[in-house]
Amino acid sequence: MFTFIVRRFFSALISIVLASMLVFSALLAVPGDPAEIILGLNASPEALAALREKLGLTVPAPQRYLNWLTGIVRGDLGESLNYQKDVSELIIDRLAVSVPLALGAALIACFIALPLGILAALKRNTFLDPLVTAISQVGAAIPSFWLGLMLILFFAVELRWLPAGGYVPWERDPLGTLRSLLLPIIALGLGQAAVMTRMTRASMIEVLNQDYIRTAKAKGLSGRRVVMIHGLRNALVTLITILGLSLTNVFIGSIIIEQVFALPGLGRLALIAIGTRDFPLLQGEILVYAGTIVFLSFLVDISYGFLDPTIRYA
Amino acid sequence: MNRFFWLALTLILALGNAVAQDAPAPQYGGEVVVSITADPPGWDPSASTSQEIPRVVYHNVFEGLVRFDRDGNIVPALAESWTVSDDGLEWTFTIREGVMFHDGTPLTIDDIIAKFERARDPDSGHTHTAYYAPIAEISGSGNTVTFSLAQASSSLLYNLARPDSVIYPAAKADTQRSQPIGTGPFRFVEYIEGSEVRLERFEDYYLDGVPYLDSAVFRIIGDPNTRFAALQAGDIDLIGVALSPEQFLQVQSDPNLKGSEGTATTEITLAMNNSRGPLANKLVRQAITHAIDKEAIVNGAMFGLGTVIGTHMSPAESYYIDLSNTYPYDPERARALLAEAGYSDGFTINFELPEPYNIERRSGQVIAQQLSEVGIDVELSVVEWGTWIQRIFLGGDYDMTIIGHSEPRDINIYANPNYYYKYDNPVIGELLNQAESAQSAQVQLANYQQIAKIIAEDAVNVWVFSPPYLVASQNDVYGFWTNQPTPSINLTEVYRAQ
Repeated sequence: MFTFIVRRFFSALISIVLASMLVFSALLAVPGDPAEIILGLNASPEALAALREKLGLTVPAPQRYLNWLTGIVRGDLGESLNYQKDVSELIIDRLAVSVPLALGAALIACFIALPLGILAALKRNTFLDPLVTAISQVGAAIPSFWLGLMLILFFAVELRWLPAGGYVPWERDPLGTLRSLLLPIIALGLGQAAVMTRMTRASMIEVLNQDYIRTAKAKGLSGRRVVMIHGLRNALVTLITILGLSLTNVFIGSIIIEQVFALPGLGRLALIAIGTRDFPLLQGEILVYAGTIVFLSFLVDISYGFLDPTIRYA
Repeated sequence: MNRFFWLALTLILALGNAVAQDAPAPQYGGEVVVSITADPPGWDPSASTSQEIPRVVYHNVFEGLVRFDRDGNIVPALAESWTVSDDGLEWTFTIREGVMFHDGTPLTIDDIIAKFERARDPDSGHTHTAYYAPIAEISGSGNTVTFSLAQASSSLLYNLARPDSVIYPAAKADTQRSQPIGTGPFRFVEYIEGSEVRLERFEDYYLDGVPYLDSAVFRIIGDPNTRFAALQAGDIDLIGVALSPEQFLQVQSDPNLKGSEGTATTEITLAMNNSRGPLANKLVRQAITHAIDKEAIVNGAMFGLGTVIGTHMSPAESYYIDLSNTYPYDPERARALLAEAGYSDGFTINFELPEPYNIERRSGQVIAQQLSEVGIDVELSVVEWGTWIQRIFLGGDYDMTIIGHSEPRDINIYANPNYYYKYDNPVIGELLNQAESAQSAQVQLANYQQIAKIIAEDAVNVWVFSPPYLVASQNDVYGFWTNQPTPSINLTEVYRAQ
């Protein structure tokens, strides 16, 4: 088991380094110069040259990449060109928005999707299955930004229960933070729940059709025991994969939701960094995104090892 | 839309304006939450020409020697008065005494001298150093600062009122982008990137009586629907930038909200590359102007809100001249001109729309349709903003694009043959120089209008319309600017009253 974890860890590390190289070279190809964007229209060539020098853009690209890499090793992600602040500081501030948002949405998705998916799989011959399937189909088809807008119109404009967007920092008013995160979490979580319900149902059905389930039933075990012990345990490998995928999905999906709800999260910061060609910030952001996704799939891989011994020795 | 609809709309608007003028007496205290659309590139108006910066900080946080008032007049700010020598070469400003910066240090003559030394140094990174190029020497004595000019400059005072010319402590020039320190009625207190900016009343402001508000928040809301929902929900109090025409119409039917329609210095400009392909031919550019029904664009893309224009000047400017009929809508004439230019079978042209700007994109789609009706085959595409600036604006690598030029009094761009229009006409530069050194308001007016006519006749671009300045607010918010002589959501005289 230990060598398995070590192997997975190094392959995760290599993925991140490869991603960082890919990101850096992709950003070099993007047209647009941060100095031009900061100075705006009608900037004089002299002013541009002066700012480029100041921003360190005159250093050759491979050198910049190496500087950046050695910086990361020291825990220094550089300084944002636009905000004149440490990238790591900006990103950490944003995690206070994005992490609760993603976790909250994933949690909602699990609470809805697991029971509904299992129910639909078990009640395949009743009206429940087509009903759940139809609802989840509709849910999966609704774009989260539209759902977000509808929630805003209903809960903020009509009822005035919750804010229509914007963010209150935790340290100022934790209740206010929760209020400002509630609608975005629902908007993000519901769409994810729909997708997960369908996946849970499918994998549960697959497991229930296996021989060992028939054997368990033939042994005279109760229906509940068959489902909980033999069914769910074996479906768990697929469900963990789904969970890992959905965490990644909500993390990525939050980019749009943060835009709709005017939340200062990682996603909006990334959009701003792209718009202003704030390369150090964007590199740091993408590193965090890539790192999170790689870390999540690392966790999923490890959990396979625990759940299914055949994977561990493969 | 029929005539009755527009008549009704006009009446509603007139009524709205009448109500707005009947404002209760100013009251002190409270807070106003204002929306803006994006994080600007820092907060120093002398480090970036982004118009988003002055929207928040002009007069609210930063002031110059002089400033624009709500009607576009140039009025005293940090300078209480000024004199000009007869030859127009010596400008002496008497600086107000007892002015404090927000960091508690007093404003000194040295701060002002340092500011303008930086402003006229092309290597300092200061924006628009050309505005200060006529200044040969800056000297101070007592409470006066004197600019000695190399040549008379009739636009000096105007340029000193611009956001670029604001004064900050000399020792802190480099940190203004992230920690703005000015002399204005509000202190810059907190900035949560991507979320909001918080200003608080500056107790040591040198003018008595203002500001009325205790604090103000500029909340960054990028999505236009969320922004408007936040206003309807009462989460924000005022939208003073990027309010769409259809939202403005919705405001009229919401009993909790009020709207105002004023003038702005924006010209929605169909920019053409005057050095490239068929567009290098003046006849073709004239034909394009004849082919475009500006009225239809204002009605279609703007719900009738906007003034059709014919040159690079908006009705908000003191030099405004109506040239919208230079080449009126006339598709027959357009086809004839195209034939005369040798394009009787039309031609294909690229037309690139800037992604962030909704009005421009909508107008561009209507224009593409109108051009196709006279035989011009338009290849439409949408360009991301960074690319637009890099390739189109700075690189001049494009056929046609459309953009709102919102900087006030910017007709001088037509004297620059390297500007992205690639329009090369030395006469413009000569007229500008004359206007600069003439020291006569009449000559200046005459020359600026002459330039406006020349570029209109040369059909350098198609100036489509000037969008109005639209504001929507809660009913209890008063005193905001209803016109935009310069981009600014000025809160100095804003107050809340039942």
